[in-house]
Amino acid sequence: MRHRFSDKTELHALGRRVLPYAMLSPAVLVTLAIVFFPMLQTTWMSLHEYILFRPNDFHWVGLGNFKAALNDEVFWISFGHTLIWMGITIPAQLLLGLTTALLLNQNFPWRPIARALIIIPWALPSVIIALMWVWIYDSNYGVANEFLLRLGIVQKAVPWLANPDTALASIILTLTWQGFPFFAVMILAGLQSIPHSHYEAASIDGASQLRQFWHITLPGISGVVVTAVLLRLIWVANSFDVIFVMTGGGPGYSTYTLPLYAFIKARTNLDFGYGSAIAVLFTLLLMVFVIFYLRRMRRMI
Amino acid sequence: MRLVRHIAAASAFAMIAGAAGAESNVRFWYHFDNADNPIDDLVAKFEATNPDISIEAENIPWNSYYDQLYTSIVGGNAPDTAMVKLFAQPRLIELGALAPIDDMLAEWDDANNLQEGLLDLVKGGDGNQYYMPVQYVALYLYYRPDMFAELGLQVPTTCDEFHDVAKSLTRDTDGDGQIDVYGFGFRGAKGGHDHWATFTLGAEGVSLTEGLTSDAGVAGTQFVADLFQKDGVFPPSAPNDGFQEIIGAFKSGRTAMTIHHIGSANGMVEALGDNVSAAPVPACGGGQWTAFGDESTAVLSGAEDKEAAFKWIAFLSSEGNNTLFNQATGQLPVVKADAANWTLHPKRFVDATINSLEAAQLLPASPATSDFVNTVWPTNMQRVLIGEITAEEMNANIELLFTE
Repeated sequence: MRHRFSDKTELHALGRRVLPYAMLSPAVLVTLAIVFFPMLQTTWMSLHEYILFRPNDFHWVGLGNFKAALNDEVFWISFGHTLIWMGITIPAQLLLGLTTALLLNQNFPWRPIARALIIIPWALPSVIIALMWVWIYDSNYGVANEFLLRLGIVQKAVPWLANPDTALASIILTLTWQGFPFFAVMILAGLQSIPHSHYEAASIDGASQLRQFWHITLPGISGVVVTAVLLRLIWVANSFDVIFVMTGGGPGYSTYTLPLYAFIKARTNLDFGYGSAIAVLFTLLLMVFVIFYLRRMRRMI
Repeated sequence: MRLVRHIAAASAFAMIAGAAGAESNVRFWYHFDNADNPIDDLVAKFEATNPDISIEAENIPWNSYYDQLYTSIVGGNAPDTAMVKLFAQPRLIELGALAPIDDMLAEWDDANNLQEGLLDLVKGGDGNQYYMPVQYVALYLYYRPDMFAELGLQVPTTCDEFHDVAKSLTRDTDGDGQIDVYGFGFRGAKGGHDHWATFTLGAEGVSLTEGLTSDAGVAGTQFVADLFQKDGVFPPSAPNDGFQEIIGAFKSGRTAMTIHHIGSANGMVEALGDNVSAAPVPACGGGQWTAFGDESTAVLSGAEDKEAAFKWIAFLSSEGNNTLFNQATGQLPVVKADAANWTLHPKRFVDATINSLEAAQLLPASPATSDFVNTVWPTNMQRVLIGEITAEEMNANIELLFTE
């Protein structure tokens, strides 16, 4: 009798150990198939000369593509733009998102409607956003120029996307607009999880609004912010759809970023070997950056 | 009992008919800008006369048409037939993606109805026939007769005249200190190589494969750069302007001239009425160069039923059907009888096309041409226009592409 009882517990324990793996395995298998397998394939292709319209001429070149990339002027131009792209877009989205969240956390009439409206840029497909902003920036009919001309801020219509000095900045503005609702919603959720009693206690102690923000609000949302920044970092770094639709990388190489360059090389020039090499290099760079970020942030929280 | 037998016979017949109906399925890829998309009528007409073949026609957006076609071929999911341009033929042959149609063409009765010389023009570099012509255009100069009359200008026939006319047409019409009309709408984005080629490749001894870095070759590119940077006769957005932008700007009166083909004529007439006309492009550097815009259909080597696929593409290039097809694309028919009865464009645009044919050229039949069209030309031209590189450097980059 006793023996049977212990059998049952053992079985139960085994079940408990196996169950998580059994439950996870479908997701893991799918991830392996659609993420890891293509990643391995990309790495494999990056070590070969592989031009799609010469399928029989697939030969090993070792690190040749990587060497070529590091000596490629366009690679470094794109790399520089990627840094500017990430360095401005993410802080701008974060700041705008934080401000919006703080505003939305106040009590005011129609607050639910304002909260719903704010999510619109985030909910729109990137291609629609890109096309919409192309028309906003248009130098002949665009509202941006019309507005600035009427206010007397510019003297003649500016070709925002055709001018190499303003093209990248214009796209960064578009992406900031698209991405800030994500921060706003995440931070708003964080703000609402801070117990109100903390603020009451602080104000009884005579803490100013600024001090309350610094010592209660910021620590209260830091976990959310770190995660949100990490997610955005990866998304913004990889996103090129908006650039692709708005300028296709032009004029010249003015709005090339590394993912866009990899895409154009592989998909338009059909040079999959070289395109893959750029993609692998970019993944490594992003990985280093993410690890560095996570280490720093772990220390800060 | 008799009734039962009838029903049995009827169902047997229906089964056979059903099976026959599913005998062959032909997938066709095409690209139409036309939102009405009258391909359904053509498919219905074809299926009515060929009940054993069903057509699955798919409209692929033009901007990524070739990207999708090449990847579908390599990925093993290519259509059975597709609309194709000549510049892609060398690459498609290299891929082994095309099925020769010589034998089927020899048995096709309507081959003689095609306009003379067209089949030869689209012959593959290896001597096989892969392409079936379906429509054609030649690029010409669109201009605003009302603006020319107002300023007492003549349609330019040389680049020197073009330069002066474009400068005169660039003006501030309402006196607010802003330029309202630009002389020429230049296409600096993908697809604009035809504009540049008119100004550059007309010169003696200059083509994409030779003489591009000679003085005459560089002078052409420099001419384009100067028109933008020094004379300011292109709208400031020119480096990024594509098809939509140049056509839109011309229709709205923002530009007084541009280069395109008859495909946009009806839209222009709708917007401008009699205030739009066309003429052959100016001769630059001593010779005239304009692009022959071809479009053919082809059977792909992966097609299961090549006979059925050929029947479909032959149908599109036969009398009457070719008119329907070109109604959709706004281009010109390749069938003699259809061309003779052509009334879908105002005559002045058909005349301008025919008068341009003499100078119409094709891009070189080289695998490098795709890269030239898709990336090398647009990036280099844009860099010249924004002053990042010189005209010499651009021409050297193109020469390098074709000699590699």
